[in-house]
Amino acid sequence: MRVTSSVDGVARRWYSHRYNRPDLYGLAARLGWLPRPLRLALARQIGRLAPRLVPAERAAIRETLAQFTNATGSRLDALTAQAFVDFAMCFSDLVSTNRQPRVQLAAYVAGTEGVERLRGLTGGFISLTAHVGNWELAGRLLAGQCARPTHVVVAPEEMKELERWVRRDGEGVRFVTRSRPTVSLELVAALRRGEVVAVQGDRALGGRGDTMISFFGQPAPFPMGPFLLASAVGVPLVPAFCLLTAGHRYLVKVAEPFTVRRGDEEKGVQAWGALLEDIVREHPTQWFNFFDIWNPFNR
Amino acid sequence: MEAEKVLEELKDIMVERLKFDPSRTSELTLATVLPKGMEGSLGLDSLDFIEMSMAIEERFGFVIDESQELETHFESLGALVAYVTLHMTER
Repeated sequence: MRVTSSVDGVARRWYSHRYNRPDLYGLAARLGWLPRPLRLALARQIGRLAPRLVPAERAAIRETLAQFTNATGSRLDALTAQAFVDFAMCFSDLVSTNRQPRVQLAAYVAGTEGVERLRGLTGGFISLTAHVGNWELAGRLLAGQCARPTHVVVAPEEMKELERWVRRDGEGVRFVTRSRPTVSLELVAALRRGEVVAVQGDRALGGRGDTMISFFGQPAPFPMGPFLLASAVGVPLVPAFCLLTAGHRYLVKVAEPFTVRRGDEEKGVQAWGALLEDIVREHPTQWFNFFDIWNPFNR
Repeated sequence: MEAEKVLEELKDIMVERLKFDPSRTSELTLATVLPKGMEGSLGLDSLDFIEMSMAIEERFGFVIDESQELETHFESLGALVAYVTLHMTER
């Protein structure tokens, strides 16, 4: 008998924490009226306090950053603290800045790298990103560049009430919750119509849809789904990231598109992992997975 | 193509493409529920449905029209047999 997967609608959430609450999302969103510099300054203050409130997450990200950077002692402590500060700023933007009309978002972009690569793509493709920087903003900005519908695949939120703060359809962006297994048929259809599917490729799902690859020298589970979808439909994967810069504006990076042949999906995941390592080496404190990425299911 | 023949072809797909245990194909009937999360289902996940839709297109020689609502057609083996049979008849 085949191994039954727990890919879809999985009950356990190894990345969850007790501060994933609608009232906190609402509070952050209500601060959206503040001028952005002031709001981000406030976010930084909250980010400095946060590690004391979430000691397990602090320990996990500290271990992760040690693996990413080889830092120790006070240097590692500083990186750990900065990860919470960076996260607080990106989260503040997620629930406020990101919700502005797309035409206004350009003001928050300091630069782009490789966006011209999208112009050569005439058919459907999979925009592949990770929980690094302001990933959701990357999706919104690139949807504008592509001038075609973008279907953003998201995990079912633990609490339905959270969705209103982080999901907003419109302007060519449609959120697709991975709540039903047959949702994959909708994604196949979208890609065949020449549309874009945006998906995050850094959180394993805890079933046979994961594969182990080397990530910073240790085996880590990564999801195969985006790569199986790409190979099945015959569309390229386009890695894209949105990173916070020193001036608190964003750098949008689009890497070289690549294709995956049927049967070579694991090689695709490995290539993605190597690329993700490069991005994370450059921006280690913008890695926003506050759990043990190498053993996520032991939590 | 007759419904019985379609069912046998779908069973073959499940063994060949979804790695279903061949010794248990006799348990698969028209009433067998497919998607994970439904009571008594085989537990097919999103990746299985991608694989299955591609295999159906290759095996039966038609393109699945995804502009339609497909969820109900993939709900059970019986629904899927009816869907495939209908398309084979229309060809």
